[in-house]
Amino acid sequence: MTCELTLRDVRSVARIVNLAHRFNCRCTHVTANADATVTARFAFDGAAVALVRLRAQIDRIVAYEAPQ
Amino acid sequence: MNGAQAVLAALEREGVDTVFGYPGGAIMPLYDALFGHPVRHVLVRHEAAAAFAASGYARTSGRVGVCCATSGPGATNLVTGLLDAMMDSVPVVAITGQVRRELMGTDGFQEADVCAITQAVTKRNMLVSDVDSIAETLAEAFALARRGRPGPVLVDIPNDVLKAQTDVTAVPEKPPGRIGDGPRVSDAAVRDAVARIRSARRPVAIVGGGVRAGAVDLYRMFVAMLGLPHAATINALGAAASGDAAYLGMLGMHGLKAANKAVQRADVILALGMRFDDRVTGKPDRFAREATVIHADIDATEFNKIITANVALHGDLGETLRALVNELARGHVPRFDDWAAEARLLGGPLPSDRVADDVLSATDVLDRVFAALPGDAIVTTDVGQHQMWAAQRARPAHPRKYATSAGLGAMGFGFPAAVGAAYANPTVPVFAIVGDGGFQMCLPELATLRRYKIPVKIVLIDNQNLGMVRQWQELFFSERYSATNLADNPDFVAIARAYGIEAFAIDAPAGADDVIARFVAARGPALLHCACHPTENVWPMIPAGMTVDDLMEARA
Ligand SMILES: Cc1ncc(C[n+]2csc(CCOP(=O)(O)OP(=O)(O)O)c2C)c(N)n1
Repeated sequence: MTCELTLRDVRSVARIVNLAHRFNCRCTHVTANADATVTARFAFDGAAVALVRLRAQIDRIVAYEAPQ
Repeated sequence: MNGAQAVLAALEREGVDTVFGYPGGAIMPLYDALFGHPVRHVLVRHEAAAAFAASGYARTSGRVGVCCATSGPGATNLVTGLLDAMMDSVPVVAITGQVRRELMGTDGFQEADVCAITQAVTKRNMLVSDVDSIAETLAEAFALARRGRPGPVLVDIPNDVLKAQTDVTAVPEKPPGRIGDGPRVSDAAVRDAVARIRSARRPVAIVGGGVRAGAVDLYRMFVAMLGLPHAATINALGAAASGDAAYLGMLGMHGLKAANKAVQRADVILALGMRFDDRVTGKPDRFAREATVIHADIDATEFNKIITANVALHGDLGETLRALVNELARGHVPRFDDWAAEARLLGGPLPSDRVADDVLSATDVLDRVFAALPGDAIVTTDVGQHQMWAAQRARPAHPRKYATSAGLGAMGFGFPAAVGAAYANPTVPVFAIVGDGGFQMCLPELATLRRYKIPVKIVLIDNQNLGMVRQWQELFFSERYSATNLADNPDFVAIARAYGIEAFAIDAPAGADDVIARFVAARGPALLHCACHPTENVWPMIPAGMTVDDLMEARA
């Protein structure tokens, strides 16, 4: 699974990598450019069910850090 | 003004009247600003209680609960309470002092990377490194705590930032965030849902904690319109109108048989603001196998997480219910009274282990206590058997009249949550139902009751055991009772009295009602010690990962 995210908070990159580990997925690629916003690209390997779970948690992180 | 005063100005702007907390070095400037300030500070006796009290305040009022703690150990003591608020979607803002900026990263005294520690237990956290951003950061924290699916937010402020001077106290005008703000439910999904309701034969609604976000009246209208049988998760107890005969009770592992059986037989499940916790579904692939699922939630990540949604209604639950009611009213409105009557008959009286007429059983005590409670009472519970017995019996007037640590199941929650509830609802009687294990995790809060004369009433179900774990050891671990016996409990009545709290005691059914009546009528804080049979179990029970077909109603 790959995803490209626009984030507000660069710390979320670390949080997402930690979550991948927790769900027994491998983060095979991560790059992030941090300016006013953060553009991050990830690639993950893992069981299909774990990747779905990871994607849902990533969506939640992105939603919670969106500007009010 | 300094940063600490800017924090209090921000709290006042958010309408905060009470902060639960505990002082310490890094947060001293905030305590200095609190001295004599109109925002009331309630000194708890452990920071965990501050977080639980903030949660109890929020759960029973719908307003944001606020707690504060110093750096390092103070902040880490908040963690369990923040996770509890996260799991149950409770709006809480925690403010922590941090070591001064020049010490950060030096393993300074009481330094902890609180933002790293709490990343997984908050919606978000913010480190304030510039005094001029305090006002805006706190405004954002409160808005986020309330917005969409509510939850906890932590703001960490270094000591020198609290002391620095600032002129920035105003925030750019924005419409205030509201619990329930968020996406608008799609018309097409609403039409699809209504079509499925119209063609359903055995639909059942399951309402969850999402209903607490201002959707109770609409929920009651919706189920009444259809005569729909419905069940609640533990976080939605009180959602059903009193006397609603189509209400089947709590669902799940210790839920009512009728609720569990009706859901299992349903052809359409309306899952409303609930998230299919494993304590509700048991084994997901055997849960309500014949049913089409219409799932309404503010948090899109809940769809298809555990149970596949045939129709996903993404939006505020109140708005979704309004849309469903309007769409139904445009055409044929089906009635499900016959099915509701049939569903009710799937149950029966609550099974219990009551032993002998002269022995006090916990379920008997709770039946008597609930019968004696004033109609408008707020009940909080701790975690364990008493929590389940209470949830099976309670018929709160509204979900905000009931607070329990559901998703996290954190022992030590019930009593401090009652303290928070009492501050949020100063004219309402508040009762905390606790077990002898969990009560001992927050005993020192008796001092908080005493100091502020908070009229919380504590019902202590003392079965001299960590009862819920003991029950599992009996049923699933060959009766090997490892570390669950509390037969050497202290004298709780003497402890309460030592703290200056009025105490009552019952140890037999005879005369119990009289004592309970005097306890309920006591004017100030009070403890009711109930010495109960040690080995009573919670029935019914669906063992973990099983289904209603495996439901147990008594010891084998
Ligand atoms: C903080 C915490 N630690 C451990 C547990 C595990 N646990 C769940 S219920 C329970 C027993 C609770 O005993 P008690 O408070 O006496 O209540 P009872 O079950 O007897 O009603 C335990 C230890 C928990 N839920 N929370």
